Parts: sequence; structure tokens; C-alpha cells
Amino acid sequence: MPENTTYIETENDYKQNSTVVVEMVHLKKSFGNNHVLRDITLVITKGENLAILGQSGTGKSVLIKCIVGLVEIDEGKLFILGKDISELKNKELIEIQKKIGFLFQSGALYDSMTVRENLEFPLRKQLRSIPKEKLDSLIKEALNNVGLYAAIDKSPSELSGGMRKRLGLARTLILKPEIMLYDEPTTGLDPITSKEISHLILEVQRKYNTTSIIITHDIECTRLTANRIIVIKDGVCAAEGTYNDLKKSADPWIRSFFE
Amino acid sequence: MEEVNLEQSQNQHHAEVIIPEVFSEPISESVFDKFFLEVSSITTFTLRFIKEVIKPPYEFNEVMKQSYLIGYKSFPLVAITGFIIGLVLTIQTRPTLAKFGAESWLPAMVAVSIIREIGPVITALIFAGKVGSGIGAELASMNVSEQIDAMQVSDINPFKYLVVTRVLSATLMLPLLVIFADAVGLLGSFVGVNIKGNVSTYLFFSQIFQTLEFNDLLPAFIKTIFFGFAIGLISSYKGYNSNKGTEGVGKAANTAVVFASLVVFIIDMVAVQITSLLQN
Repeated sequence: MPENTTYIETENDYKQNSTVVVEMVHLKKSFGNNHVLRDITLVITKGENLAILGQSGTGKSVLIKCIVGLVEIDEGKLFILGKDISELKNKELIEIQKKIGFLFQSGALYDSMTVRENLEFPLRKQLRSIPKEKLDSLIKEALNNVGLYAAIDKSPSELSGGMRKRLGLARTLILKPEIMLYDEPTTGLDPITSKEISHLILEVQRKYNTTSIIITHDIECTRLTANRIIVIKDGVCAAEGTYNDLKKSADPWIRSFFE
Repeated sequence: MEEVNLEQSQNQHHAEVIIPEVFSEPISESVFDKFFLEVSSITTFTLRFIKEVIKPPYEFNEVMKQSYLIGYKSFPLVAITGFIIGLVLTIQTRPTLAKFGAESWLPAMVAVSIIREIGPVITALIFAGKVGSGIGAELASMNVSEQIDAMQVSDINPFKYLVVTRVLSATLMLPLLVIFADAVGLLGSFVGVNIKGNVSTYLFFSQIFQTLEFNDLLPAFIKTIFFGFAIGLISSYKGYNSNKGTEGVGKAANTAVVFASLVVFIIDMVAVQITSLLQN
């Protein structure tokens, strides 16, 4: 992929004819006396790449864990694909969760399994009677998408940091999610690998038309991938806009993220 | 005025900080609170296990895999310890029996000791040390590295896949390991008897089987099922609910062994009481 290629479109493109995929209304979450999310109201539309910035410990990861159902919200409303998750029965909630992919910060690979088994495992659990040929072709496609087919029989401990992230991404994509959540996808990687991962995020969005929410501290990743950025401070959205808008923000604290 | 209020508030905050916690809350209360919270949490975990073990789909392949790892891989360790216990017990018991001229009772006495008590308890303790710590550490490290969360977001029930399979395997494999340990223990005893004497294999084992009764075998076998269940459940509980961070992994492995070993003794005590009540 040429280095300067970008799929970023303007914010207005998304606002026109857009479908709301995730909507949060006055969302609140506390852990004991620690009020992590104080009041988050946010709308994310189909095909959008939203980056969330903020200092460590401001609840960015908690926010996406609320979306995927790993953390329960205390107050407020959360709509995913038009459905209020607090009103869904367990079975309906599972159906919604199937449409969400999550790339963990650590990759969260299953250490006791090979690369192939890491992909096979969730697929077999979701599609119990999948024929072997179909399974093999899906695994091959997923690994080719992230450039890891050569490592199919390796174990996760033999992979580099970047490869682990790519494998984590392949494992998520194999389930064909509509919404992708990335928890610090480039953390701990060198600048070149970070750029590769950022391009991969864009490629995934283009190829599968996913909606992505990217938690990151990496400004280069934000610049390359995000259509829109929000900045979280003290549990609320402190700023929202495109990369260029926020870079020129009047607030020096917001600007400091981009320096 | 505002400054005064701020100062007061800071003083109050400061005062709250410097009061030692031990004075603000009786120690006994916090210990009891922790104890009952832990009991309630384990009870909930056990009830969830019962619910998940009944509900399909069943993870037969994973149960088989875990049984191989938990059971088959423990055979050498159990064999060595069983043999040594049988041998040592025989050598240690001989002088006492010789004093009363009851040396000929040696095989029978050692066999009853091994089968009723020493075999099940020692094997369970070794099992708690090897398998309990392994399960605790494995699940805790999966928790730390977000593998359990990853299963959950991939629509895989981590409790059913990780906990139910391990508890079932531990429950199934410990009784088999105890039977094996008992057999090897008797073999060790046979070697021990023949160090200072000359007893044929036929005589040794026929004396054992003449002495042993159904009442010796059944309660001992049944209690090993409970030992296996308790070890599997406690170590899974400790690993699955571990704190995040590497410290949590070590702590989970350690507490799994300590707690499971303690519960083995408690179950043994209860089993002995029940057995003696039923026999009376």
C-alpha cells in the first residue's frame, strides 16, 4: 500500500445518509468511589472510524468494554445497532455481541493453541457444524488478509509483537463483525509496525465496511485512521472533531495531544 | 468565606487520612466479612458450575484433553509417592508389631491404612499441589492476559470451557489415581515386607484380600470423588477470580493449593464421621 494512501473522508460525508450504529446517552460507570465515566453521550455512525484519546486511566478502555458487554453500565442508555442493550434478553444480547469484534491491547491470544487453532477455536464454537474445507478457506483468507499465512503452524510465543496484533485482528475478523473495537492497537510496537497496523485498520474498514472505535495514544495512528476524534477528560467528552480541528484547538491541553 | 470552607474541608480530609484503619473498623469484623464474602462467592461459583454442567452444549473433547493432562500426566508422580509410602509405612510399622508378636499382621495392617486413609489423602494432597496449582496459575494467567475476556467476546462461554471441564476432569481422575496409588503402595509394602523377611506374593496379597472388606473400599473411593471435585472447584475458583497482574497469578496458585489441601482434610474428617456413624 502506498505510504500516503488514505481513506479518510470528511465528517460531513458520514453525517449524510448515515446509520447510527452505536449510541450512548448519559452513560455512567463507577468502580467503587472511582467514577470512571461520568457522563458520556456519543453517536457513532456506520463506516466511521472514531478514535478516542485521553490520558491513561480516564476510562477509554472501560468505554469500549461497555459496548462489548465485558463491563456493565451503571446509568444511562446504550444502543447498539438500534437496540437498547439494557432491555435485551440474554439470547438477543449474544446475537448483538456476535456483531462486535474486539482487538485486545495484549492481543489476548490463546497461548496453548497454534495460530491456526486460535482462528479455528472461535469459528468452531460459533458455527458448530462448519465443514472442514470451508473452515480451512476462512482461516486462509483471514491469515492472508493480515499477511500471516506463513505462520499458520506457529505458536503465539514464536510471534513478534506486531504479528501477535495481526493475529488478534485476524481472529476477530474471521467472525465478520460489523463493529470493530481496537484497544490501543499500536501500543508497544515500533513506528514501522505501528504504521502497518494503522493501514491494516483502514484496509479492514474498507474491505468489510466495519465501523471502528479506536482507543489509542498514538497520534500517527489517529491521523491515519480516524474520521473523527473525541477526547475524554475526567469521564466526559472534553472535545470532538477531526484531526485538523483538534490540532488547532484553542485549548492547550487538547493541543498537547497532537504536539 | 470560601477559603475558610476549603480549609475546613482540607482539614477534614487530612483527619480522615491520618486515622488508622484499625481503629475505625474492628479487625474481627473485617475478617468475618471477608470470610463470609468468600463463602458466598464460592457458593455462587459452585451453583454456577452445577447449572453449566447440566446445560448443553457439552465440551466432551476438552474434558478428555484435560483428563489426559490432569490425570494421565500425574501417574508417574503418584506412582513414585505411592510406592515410597507403602515401603516406608511397612518398614516403620514392623518394629512396633514385632514387639507384640504380631508381625504376621503387617501386610493387612498396612493395606487397611493405605486403602482407607493414607492412599486417598496423600494422593489428594499431591494432586492439590500439582494439579490445583496448575489450574489456579493457568486460569489466573489467562485472566491477566485477557484470554478469558477474549473468549467471552467471541461468544464462547469461558466458564463452561475452562472451569466445568477442569472440575469434571479432576473429579473423574482423582479416584483413578487413588486406585493406582493404592495398588503401587501395596507393591511398595510387599518390597518392604521382603527386606527383612521372605513372604511370597501369593501369601502377601491373599492376606490383604482376606482382611479387606467392602466397608474399607467403598467409603474410601467415594471420598476421593469429593476430594477431586473440591480440588478442581477451588483451584478453578481461585484462578478464574484472580486479581489482574502477575502478582495475582502467584497468589492464585498459592491459595489454590493451600485452600484445596485444607478442604481435603475437612472432607476427610467429615467422611470419617459419616462412615463410622453408618457402620455403627
